[in-house]
Amino acid sequence: MVEAEVEDKRITLKEAVKLIPDGAHVGWGGFGYQRPPMAFAHELVRQRKRDLTVYTQGSEIDIDILAGAYVVKRFELAYFGIEGIGLAPNIQRRLAEGAIEIEDYTNLAMAMRFLGGALGVPFMPVKSMLATDLVRTCTFREKKCYVMKCPFTGEPVCLVPSIRPDFAIIHVQRVDPEGNAQIDGVKGIDAELARAAKKTIIMAEEIVDYEETRRHPEATVIPNLYVDHVVECPWGSYPMQVHGYYDFDLEHIRMYYQMCRTEEGWERYRDEYILGVEDHMEFLKKIGLERLLKLRARRPLGY
Amino acid sequence: MARSGHAKPGEYTPLELMAVCASRVIRDGEVVFVGTGLPMIAALLAKRTHAPRAKILYEAGFIDSGAIDLALSIADTRLGYRAAAMLSLIEALGCALQGGRVDVGFVGAAQIDEYGNINTTWIGPLVEEPVEGAPEGFPSMRLRFDLERVRAGERLIRLPGSGGGNDIISSAKRIVVVMRHDKRKFVKKLTYMTSPGHLNGPGARKKAGLLGGGPELVITNMCLMDFDEQTKRIRLKSVHPGFTVDDILDNVSFDLIVPEHVPETEPPTYEELKILREIDKEGLYLGRR
Repeated sequence: MVEAEVEDKRITLKEAVKLIPDGAHVGWGGFGYQRPPMAFAHELVRQRKRDLTVYTQGSEIDIDILAGAYVVKRFELAYFGIEGIGLAPNIQRRLAEGAIEIEDYTNLAMAMRFLGGALGVPFMPVKSMLATDLVRTCTFREKKCYVMKCPFTGEPVCLVPSIRPDFAIIHVQRVDPEGNAQIDGVKGIDAELARAAKKTIIMAEEIVDYEETRRHPEATVIPNLYVDHVVECPWGSYPMQVHGYYDFDLEHIRMYYQMCRTEEGWERYRDEYILGVEDHMEFLKKIGLERLLKLRARRPLGY
Repeated sequence: MARSGHAKPGEYTPLELMAVCASRVIRDGEVVFVGTGLPMIAALLAKRTHAPRAKILYEAGFIDSGAIDLALSIADTRLGYRAAAMLSLIEALGCALQGGRVDVGFVGAAQIDEYGNINTTWIGPLVEEPVEGAPEGFPSMRLRFDLERVRAGERLIRLPGSGGGNDIISSAKRIVVVMRHDKRKFVKKLTYMTSPGHLNGPGARKKAGLLGGGPELVITNMCLMDFDEQTKRIRLKSVHPGFTVDDILDNVSFDLIVPEHVPETEPPTYEELKILREIDKEGLYLGRR
């Protein structure tokens, strides 16, 4: 018997970022400190991408970097801050310059918008947002949401438009070359986002053998048919965390926050940690093996 | 063994008292939706004192968290320790919360008005203009920032936004607001209404289609406040040891309802303080003493 040839979707991080044209609509994975595609954000800055629209639940220094470097023009999201540390620093200056716009939703509303996109329906109802400025006002999306009476029960509901972004960028623990992705710990909205996007790029801490995922298919959260490209990217969420792999680097996050409170500080951070390195591997070398190893997750804690 | 009885002023910090007050709201067996910060500490304290069977949920998808270390992020792996399940946002915010299974939710506020409506999104010179020809049901106003005023030195501040805050206030059965007391935070008019309190009075939430009962308690570093049944406006409930009613009145920008008799807030017990300091050994949220 001849084994069927296994599709190999692997490309490099640089190649993956090259696929994103200026002005693209991008769904941004991860949630809070958990599994943000940090390395992808850095490479978007290095390749000087512009005018993206980013859809995300809420992210932290990853999207603040994209704001600082003028990669993103518009955000549709629920949260923009650095949890436990303070307000996102770069976005404050970009908003004051009029360089960036934000359309606000809630976390449930954004999650349902991704689910709607995944299901192939044009909108989803939520019982959030009602009677607030979230439904009364908009910034750039005039048809941001629609409040109506449910045709079945008569109760007020808020309809939110589904999202079908051009690309989904999601960082996971493991993926095989064919694109079967496994996520440990909380999934956030990454399962829905992967299914909502027109093209899904999976970054992973580890590329595992095709046989490995086939042996544990119950662990696959995003199966191959939703995945277009696979990128091996160890420490791809540093300085944030990846469940079971490594903890966040609080010292680095605090340094980012302190530096980026001024434009000059942000430029120094950008020049040193993003533009000043050739690629993700050079960035990791700059951070240093000793520092990275200290963050490695302990079992059974996972952090 | 911890000493029995209540601690004296000076033996605890305002943040510790706030955490204790928040923990006392949680009843045994309840499903509790918290964020990080003081509410997380309060929920852990409740579980280790009067509410061991309380189930703590975090919006990233941690269900019945057994965390022993404090988390910085609501998606922090720490919250997954000995959890019943680690699922998704749609599980936590959709099925558990919007599904009507959450008894008490905790939220913060940058601004709050006299009906308990909350702003966690914008501070600064916002201006609105009508959306021309917007059909009924769609947003009628467009938000703009007056960048001239910003250039002239007025501050435009992007706060975090709703996150899951609006979802929690919309759908949890009871809401507790935990915030720092400041005249600029207790305002007559919000810059932006992110989350619905009692809107403009009795019956308004139900009419708007909101599921939960809305805010029932506001915990600050100076006092506790609840809501008047008749008007749904904020009412002083108790003042923390060391503060007077006048201190509170000096630090709100609206007409606060003050009952004839305002008791002093029950201070923490030595037992509560002992456990609290074990929970936040490093002073991550309670600060270093």
